[in-house]
Amino acid sequence: MKTLAVVVTTPPYSHLTITALTYVETALAAGIKVIGVFFYQDGAMHANENISIASDEYQAIAHWQRLNQQYQLPLHICITAAEMRGIACDSIDNEQINQAFTVSGLGELVELTTKATRLVQF
Amino acid sequence: MTSSDQQVDSNLSQENGLAIINSKAPFSSNYGKDALDVALIFGSFEQKVSLFFQGDGVYQLIANQDASLVSIKDYLKTFSAFEFYDIEDIYVCQQSLVNRQLDEAFHINDVQVLASVEFGKALNRHQHVLRF
Repeated sequence: MKTLAVVVTTPPYSHLTITALTYVETALAAGIKVIGVFFYQDGAMHANENISIASDEYQAIAHWQRLNQQYQLPLHICITAAEMRGIACDSIDNEQINQAFTVSGLGELVELTTKATRLVQF
Repeated sequence: MTSSDQQVDSNLSQENGLAIINSKAPFSSNYGKDALDVALIFGSFEQKVSLFFQGDGVYQLIANQDASLVSIKDYLKTFSAFEFYDIEDIYVCQQSLVNRQLDEAFHINDVQVLASVEFGKALNRHQHVLRF
């Protein structure tokens, strides 16, 4: 079975993130197995519970959460990228971290890359 | 292309694993360090990884740079550890060097300078590509 892994390097307020979301959702709706999304660089900011984007603008974080729930889509954030952006990752019941996201390391990116037929970066 | 050719091509790309393209100058952003971290992790998991330097990314290979002058931790020094991570395929785009009037004087050995077409072909031999 062909599988897809996605790397997101853009922050939640970036318009490029909308492209990533549309791409992933289209793939999922088409029945493609998306084995995970890895949030690296500014992408790690998605897991920050304190981010607030004006309500009339695109809510990227809410959409990732929705895909996580609807399709059990694994969302991994890079711990190093997150911590340097002010997201403390020291405990599991951390209120700073959006619960839809799993705190992972770059090892998870290796795992996703070796398992995926195709890797797409945004 | 026949189906057997496609089979050969797909085997080739499997063999070559991940390509990381470095396209940014070394000290104006964190991109180079972020790419290096990915490369070293793949190396330590014994996954094949090749490095490509293109555009302003070629500045990451130029010898005799001193990051401490701009108060930056010199991650370029870590490039000399590539052999310990079995990262052996390092390619630089010749046209990018020419455009910037840079000599082929690099701070690490075994860098392969490739013309644009060859650079593209080398990239094409990889199953996955990440760009930083």
